[in-house]
Amino acid sequence: MTTAEILEREQLISGSEAIAVACSLADVDVITAYPIRPYDTVMQFVSKLVADGELDCEFIVAESEHSQFEIVKHASSVGARVFCGSSGVGWFYAFEAITVTAGLRLPVVAMVGNRALDDPGAFGVEHNDALAVRDLGWMLNWVSTAQEALDTALMAWRIAEDPRVFLPCAISADGSFLTHSQVLVKVPDRSLVQKFLPPYNRGNLVLHPDNPITIAPQVNEDWLMEIRKQTDEAMRRAKGVIEEVYQEFKGVFGRGSPSPFYEEYMTEDAEIVFVGMGTLSMPVRVAVRRMREQGVKVGFVRIKWFRPFATQEIREMLSRFKGIGVIDRDYSYGSPSYGGVLFNELRSVLYPLAKRPLVLSFIAGLGGREIRAQNVFEMTDIVRKALETGKVEQENYWIGVRG
Amino acid sequence: MGKVAVEVVYRGIFQKNLARNICRGIVLAARKEGKIGISFGRYGDSPERNGIPAKQFAVVADSQEELEENLAMYEADNVDVTVAVDDTLCKGVESWGWYGLQPINALTRENGILLVTSMQGRGDLIQDTHQKDVPYKIGVVKGTVSFSGLWVYKDDHTDVRILGALCKVCPGLVSIEKMEEAIREQWKDELKVQSAHKSYERMETRVVEPGEGNTETPFRFDLPGWTQMEEGIVVRGIAQGKGFREGDGGYEPKRNPYFKKYSTRSMRPVVDFDTCIKCTLCWLQCPDTCFDVTPDGLYDANMQACCGCGVCEAVCPVADCITMVNEAEFTDNAGQWEMWQKDKDGYKKWMTELIQKQKAQDRSHGFHHVGQYKEEIAQMEDK
Amino acid sequence: MATTVDLPQVKGVKNIPIEEMFTSGHRTCQGCESALVMRLMIKAAGDRTIVVGSTGCMYVANTTYYTTPWVVPWMHTQLGSSGSAATGTAAGLKALMRKGKIKEEPINVIAFCGDGGGADMGLSAISASLTHPEYNHLVLLYDNESYANTDIQVSGMSPWGANSTFSPPGKARRIMNTRWKKNMVGMLAAGHPECRYLATACASYGLDMTNKVRRALTIGGPTFIHSIDPCPKGWDYDPKFSHELGMLAIETGLWVLYEIIDGELILNGPSRAIAKGMKRRKPVEEYLTRQGRFAHFTPEDTKYVQGKVDQMWERWWGPGVIPVNIKES
Repeated sequence: MTTAEILEREQLISGSEAIAVACSLADVDVITAYPIRPYDTVMQFVSKLVADGELDCEFIVAESEHSQFEIVKHASSVGARVFCGSSGVGWFYAFEAITVTAGLRLPVVAMVGNRALDDPGAFGVEHNDALAVRDLGWMLNWVSTAQEALDTALMAWRIAEDPRVFLPCAISADGSFLTHSQVLVKVPDRSLVQKFLPPYNRGNLVLHPDNPITIAPQVNEDWLMEIRKQTDEAMRRAKGVIEEVYQEFKGVFGRGSPSPFYEEYMTEDAEIVFVGMGTLSMPVRVAVRRMREQGVKVGFVRIKWFRPFATQEIREMLSRFKGIGVIDRDYSYGSPSYGGVLFNELRSVLYPLAKRPLVLSFIAGLGGREIRAQNVFEMTDIVRKALETGKVEQENYWIGVRG
Repeated sequence: MGKVAVEVVYRGIFQKNLARNICRGIVLAARKEGKIGISFGRYGDSPERNGIPAKQFAVVADSQEELEENLAMYEADNVDVTVAVDDTLCKGVESWGWYGLQPINALTRENGILLVTSMQGRGDLIQDTHQKDVPYKIGVVKGTVSFSGLWVYKDDHTDVRILGALCKVCPGLVSIEKMEEAIREQWKDELKVQSAHKSYERMETRVVEPGEGNTETPFRFDLPGWTQMEEGIVVRGIAQGKGFREGDGGYEPKRNPYFKKYSTRSMRPVVDFDTCIKCTLCWLQCPDTCFDVTPDGLYDANMQACCGCGVCEAVCPVADCITMVNEAEFTDNAGQWEMWQKDKDGYKKWMTELIQKQKAQDRSHGFHHVGQYKEEIAQMEDK
Repeated sequence: MATTVDLPQVKGVKNIPIEEMFTSGHRTCQGCESALVMRLMIKAAGDRTIVVGSTGCMYVANTTYYTTPWVVPWMHTQLGSSGSAATGTAAGLKALMRKGKIKEEPINVIAFCGDGGGADMGLSAISASLTHPEYNHLVLLYDNESYANTDIQVSGMSPWGANSTFSPPGKARRIMNTRWKKNMVGMLAAGHPECRYLATACASYGLDMTNKVRRALTIGGPTFIHSIDPCPKGWDYDPKFSHELGMLAIETGLWVLYEIIDGELILNGPSRAIAKGMKRRKPVEEYLTRQGRFAHFTPEDTKYVQGKVDQMWERWWGPGVIPVNIKES
């Protein structure tokens, strides 16, 4: 075998298993688990790695998600590299812990196996769980393949643990489609990962008897705004660090797309593009290919990093198009235009442009309902009609829902 | 008439209900003259702690717009009347970390009034109170300090006596007639109405000139900005303590420099080093780590830290070895062991005088047993 | 199992360490026994300790940003998180030491919580922490019998009938809090057979508390101590009586001083004397009439409380510990 082949093996694994493998490669120190579908397959894989001696970490089964996230938060404070995860209402049960983790500037890396929120109980994918923390200081990323899940996880520790950042990072992987489907993934050798990922060093912020500090005393109105400003600055710096790290990753592993923040598909001369996150990219790309065969100038943009949001880059990129259909696999009842979360963020990003593209909101794929090529054709017709008539009669559409 | 703002500075918890009764009393009385008002506690004081200075405000005006003029929701910029319901507060108040020592009259405006409940005369109180650059007036509502707690209120009429006095010193606030009407309506107690009236009649003020009073500069701090603050909400810990006064022998802990807590005292312990048997109980049982250990193994309550709780007096097994005495007797935070070392006989004399004075005084510090306040009030009336 | 810090039992008050790890300058009430618990706890543990403190009085009153009274490293955790914080801190240290990422050495981990955060919200997390024998830590619950930091509301540990801002005696109902205090140490002891050390404590017995903290930190595995702390603000009394009321709680038998070491129950101090018949329990009335939070009690109320305490001592299999009566078949 050649050196390149030795340094990378191909394995047939799911997105969850890919992230578990990443934990092993990254030599994570503490992992906590609590069962909830569909993320928890990652923990089932982790436990196997631990039992087989391929991952040396403290693996703790917590008694609730709140405890789960609290345990890794505290392990991180003493300098341990950590990993955690949840889905749906499980993620919400940990909300208090999740919130303070960002405020404490702890680089917890978590997997969110996106799942619909109760009630009613449902296992299918929706993005509202991870999106709910978008204001709080967590870096948020959506992956669409198992390969991307593994690669992003390795980068996540690197980015989060950078002293210029020290912010937690949640990697969203669509439940079922990504967590449970097994695909071919290139798994790098540990030696490559060691080249890429330095140890986690908290410097003089670490909690240890050799460094007597008090972390997070109570504040009043004289202090809180300054502390929030510090977190704001960290998130701003995170964008630059993400760009740096993607370059470094390319250098070591030979993989990477042109932009860390988004991925374009057939957009070169597109007049209409669809924008979305996660695994919906696959059926949309299939539909785009078919429409291109018919001569329709349509393309697709997949947003990868939701936080920090690459405002400038995304604004410039989207300004090239006439019509934009934002496909939200989430909902935001009562929001402006009753639009989805991504829609409202993108519309606000485009606002300063002198010449603004048309932007429409599509809610699709809720509760794990498949988005099919047919749905994309329908959405394309809607955008086209609005462009041709120059009139927007309706800003938001629910696609594929029975009346 | 214009807006009138009153602040009541008090010892947290012990006088919380008292302050509330005063502030609400002001607003309800002013309502009878068609004015509108608002009564609120300073948000940052919450949660209140026993003894730690706190503030409540009552602001009254003729109209909603006038009420809103310069009305801060957290703390006023300046007030027309400052009421101090414990005279030891006149030495200055420190309510929380980084706040520094605030003079009692910090917010009292030019020609405003400082109203103090005290057994001391105006002259003594002025000596304690930090000087201002502008003139203001001082008035005393004569009486012992009124302390109770959250659940049982000591209804010794301090509240209505202050309200009565307020009508005299601040005629723009509300007339005594309307105040009495409001008191009658709220308390349904004619004796309370009479107390208010008597207080109104007796109240006299004196002008305090610019520069008159305590000339010491109160300690203060400047707040750093976000670029100077450490990341991760991190603060450096306190260093380990060393020997007594940094020398060999004994032990003196390093203390939090940004919150000293000595302005919480209304009483301070006086120690008889001659009779101390070094049982360690005062040092061990002090919740505030106040006792420095001297090189000869004695325990010296550090007056920069002592908050005057009295536990040391209660646990000391030797009679009159530790005695809590009125904080008003002191003008500094001098260390007692050092005083005693210098002149043992002189110290003994000084200490004995203080103890005798304390035993003659009624400085009650809160709830002892069911029915106690009624007993105390009856005794006060007998005097 | 990682080794624990060497902390020998202290013989006599004069041998209690002189060094202060929790110093002056915290915004607690005059006479705050919970603050004294903090002081004695960390004095016993020494400077090779990490303390994690959950939200409550001992958080908000003690640490005011940009200051601290702590000499040892200290970190905030959430109201119901002390169990998780203890486990997480200990697990993090353990992993790092085993993998050679930090120096291998014994480090004490103490997580504290109040009665609200521990016995109510954080009960499940504490329970879980006691099931992990591989981590060494102490969870210390300081009990001032209310949610004190939020200005006194009843918790699962508040005494029957106590006044609070959620249980004020009123015209229609005099007794609003009809719940009887949960039995924390007994419950945790019965439920976690792997846990090697549990104890009740009171800062009025400073030497006893010091030695209990040391025993907890040196025995290995997760441990639990529950201290009763008189609270001048919530209980409404002159702060100078804090020490005396702690003793009275024990002398009336309302609070039982004991420890369970590897499954063996040992009563301490006055509780031991009472159990052996060497000392009579003082009537609870002596304790209740000293506090404003019971000022609304009628003689019937006092009688009720006395009856429950009598029951605890005369009928329980283990006074204050196991509320069962072994029935002769």
